[in-house]
Amino acid sequence: MANEGAEKPGSGGNGSPPPNGDGRPSSEPFAPQTMKMAGSYEGETMTRRALFSGGAMAAGGIAGAAIILPAIGFALGPVFEQKEATWKDVGAPGDFRADGYLPRTITLTENVGDAGLTTVYLRRGNPVAFPRERRDEFIAISTRCAHAGCPVRWVNAARRFVCPCHGGVYDFEGKVVGGPPVRPLDRFVTRVRNGQVQVGPRYSVNSQLERFSPRDPGEPLDGLWQYLYPKRVSTPDFN
Amino acid sequence: MARRPKTRPKLPLPGNNRDAWKDPAQEGNGQVSMREQVKEQTIEAGTGIVGWVDERTGASGFLRGFLFRKVPKGTNWFYTLGSATMFAFLSQAVTGVFLAMYYTPSPTHAYDSVQHITNDVFLGELVRGMHRWGATVMIVLIFLHMGRTFFFGAYKYPRELNWVVGVVLLILTMAMGLTGYLLPFDNRSFWATVVAVNITGTGPILGPYLADFLRAGSEFGGDTLTRFYAIHMLVIPGLIAALIGVHIYLVTKLGTTAPPWLKAELKEPLERERV
Amino acid sequence: MKRAEKAQYLREYQILKEQGKPFFPYAVLKDSVMACIVLAVIIGMAVVLGAGELQNKADPTTTTYTPRPEWYFYFLFELLRVIKPPELVILATVGIPTLLMVGVALLPFYDRGPERRPERRPIATTLGVAAIAMMAWLTYLGAHAEAPDKVHMNVPAAVQKGEVVVNQSGCGACHKFGEAGNHGPGPELSHIGARLGPDGIARTLRNPAGVMPNYSALPPEKFDALVNYLASLR
Repeated sequence: MANEGAEKPGSGGNGSPPPNGDGRPSSEPFAPQTMKMAGSYEGETMTRRALFSGGAMAAGGIAGAAIILPAIGFALGPVFEQKEATWKDVGAPGDFRADGYLPRTITLTENVGDAGLTTVYLRRGNPVAFPRERRDEFIAISTRCAHAGCPVRWVNAARRFVCPCHGGVYDFEGKVVGGPPVRPLDRFVTRVRNGQVQVGPRYSVNSQLERFSPRDPGEPLDGLWQYLYPKRVSTPDFN
Repeated sequence: MARRPKTRPKLPLPGNNRDAWKDPAQEGNGQVSMREQVKEQTIEAGTGIVGWVDERTGASGFLRGFLFRKVPKGTNWFYTLGSATMFAFLSQAVTGVFLAMYYTPSPTHAYDSVQHITNDVFLGELVRGMHRWGATVMIVLIFLHMGRTFFFGAYKYPRELNWVVGVVLLILTMAMGLTGYLLPFDNRSFWATVVAVNITGTGPILGPYLADFLRAGSEFGGDTLTRFYAIHMLVIPGLIAALIGVHIYLVTKLGTTAPPWLKAELKEPLERERV
Repeated sequence: MKRAEKAQYLREYQILKEQGKPFFPYAVLKDSVMACIVLAVIIGMAVVLGAGELQNKADPTTTTYTPRPEWYFYFLFELLRVIKPPELVILATVGIPTLLMVGVALLPFYDRGPERRPERRPIATTLGVAAIAMMAWLTYLGAHAEAPDKVHMNVPAAVQKGEVVVNQSGCGACHKFGEAGNHGPGPELSHIGARLGPDGIARTLRNPAGVMPNYSALPPEKFDALVNYLASLR
C-alpha cells in the first residue's frame, strides 16, 4: 500500500520510520497507530493531543473567568464596601427631655427617596437613673427590633417599646423584657454641633449595653455569640 | 386509491345529497371537482412541509417517542398535578413579561408604576391579579404534587435524582415568591422583605454577609429593590426553566410510576382501549 | 434497596407500562383539562378578588404598621412567634427551616425500602401526615395572629372606652386578649374579669409584679375605663 500522507503508519516492511515529532523510533508506544483513545484520529501523537487538551482547558478557563469574576465582584461589591458615616440634624438640645422619647425622622440611605428614611427615638441622658449617662448626652434609640427588624414603637403609657410582629417588648433603656428579641435595641451615636443635636452611625449593644459594631437583627452579642457573628466591613465606623 | 363506490342511486332531494358533499366526484360530471383538487393539494403541501422540517431536524423520531410512549396502567388524575404546576409557571412567566413592560424597578417610582398598571393600562388590573393569584395557585399545586409523589413512593429507585431536582424547584419557587413580593414596594412588601432578609442574616458566620449581599449593603436601600428585581426576573426563572427541563427529561426517560396499589400481573389480558 | 429488589421493581414496572396507554392522547387530555382548570381558577380569582389593594407606599419610618408575610410563609412566621427564649431564636430562623429542607431533599437516600403503598409504610405515612398537619396548624395560627394594639373583645357598649385605653397602653404587648396580643410575659387576660374583681385589677395596675409597668400615672377617667373594661372580660 502506498503512503498516502506524511503521517501514514507503516506496517512492517516500510522503509522509513513514521515521523512523530520528537524523533523517537517507530517502535515507541507513542507511535500513531497504537493510540487507542476516544476520538483519536489517525496520525495523532500524544504530545500534540496533550498540548491541545491543555490549551483548550487553559483558554476556556481564562475566558470563563474573564466573564464570571467581574460579575461576581460586581454582585459582591456592596458586601465589602465601607459606607461613609454621615451626621443628620434632629433638633435643638432644648427639645429633648430625660423622662420620655421623641420620634424624629432621619435619612439613612441617600438618593432613594422615602425608602431611605428611618425613625429614631431621642431623649436626653439621665445620670440620676442611669449612672453611665451624662445630662448633656443624648440617647438615640433605633426603631429596628433586634429580633427580625420590624418597626418598634414607644408606648408612653406603658413606658415600653413594643414590637408588633412576634411579641418583643423592651424597657426604657431598650433592654429586652419580654418576647424573643436577642439583644437590646440598637442605638445611634449622637453629638451636638452648631446648636443642633446630630445623629450619626448606628451601633449595636449587648445586654450590658456595651457597644459593638452594628449587627443585623437576630444576632445575639453576649458571650461567645459575638464571635459567631463577626463584625462587617460594610458598616460605617461608629467611633 | 379507489374510493368506496356508492351503488345506490339517490333521488335528487335536498336531504339526500350528503354523500355528494363528501364525494363530489359523484355529482356525476366524471371529473375531479375543484374542491377535491384543492383539498388534495393542501394535504400534499402540508405533508411536504412537515417532511422538509423532519429531514433537516430528525424531529419525528423524537416526537413519536415522546408523544406515544406508554404511561403505566392506572395513571389517574393525581398525575396531572405536575404539568398543572408547570402550566401555572408558564402563566406566571407570560403575565410577568407583560408586567415587566410597565414596571419601573426604582424605589421612588416602583409604587407609582404599579398604580399605573392597575389603573391606566388596558387589562392591567387583570394581568396583575393573574400574576399575584397565580403565585398562590402555583405554590398550592407544587405542594400537592410533592405530596402525591411522597405518598405514592415515587421518589424511590430509580427516581431519586428527580426528587432532589423537584425539591430544588420547590425552594426556587418559594424564593420567587419572596423576591417578587417586594416589587410593588408598598408597606406590606417592604416590611415582609426586611424581616425575611434579616432572618437570612441570623445564619452563623456567613449569615451577615449573605444578608448584606441580598440587601446590597448593611441597610435596606435603593440597590436592594433592583437586586431583587434582577433575581426575580432573570436569575431564578432561568434556573427554574433549566431545572424543569431536567425534571421533564427524567420523567420521560424513567417513566411515571404506576399507582402503588396496582399489582403487576402478566396473565391479565391487555385492556381494551377506552377513551 | 438490594439489587434483587431493584430488579424486581423494574420487571414489574415494565409489565405495568406495557399494559398502559399512550401518553398522547390519553394522559395529554387529562393534563390539558387540568391546565384549563388551573387557568380558570387563576383568572377567576383575579376577577373576583382583584389584584389586591396596594397599601400605602413603603414607609420605613412608620411606628404604627404591623408587618406580616405572605400566607405561604405563615407557618415560619408563627414559629418565630412561638419560640421565645432568645438563645433558641436561631433555631426558628435558620435551624428548623434548614433541617426541613435538607430532610426533604435527602428523603430518597434514607428511605430506601422497596415498599410503595402508603398503608404499608407506617413511618413515612405518619411523618408525612404529621408534617402536613403541623404546617397547616401553624399557618392557621399565623393567619389569626393579631397585632398587640388591635385588641377587640366582645364587651358591652358601656365599657368600650376601656378597649381604646388598652390599645393605647400597650397591654397587648405582654398579655393575650382573645386572638390579639402576645403570649407573654404576662398571663392571658381574656377572662380576667372572672378571676379578679375591679379592686383586684386596680391594685395590680398600681402595684404590678415583675416586669409589668406601673399605671398609676394614667388620668383617672382612663384608669377607671380600663378597670371596668378588664372587669367585664369574663
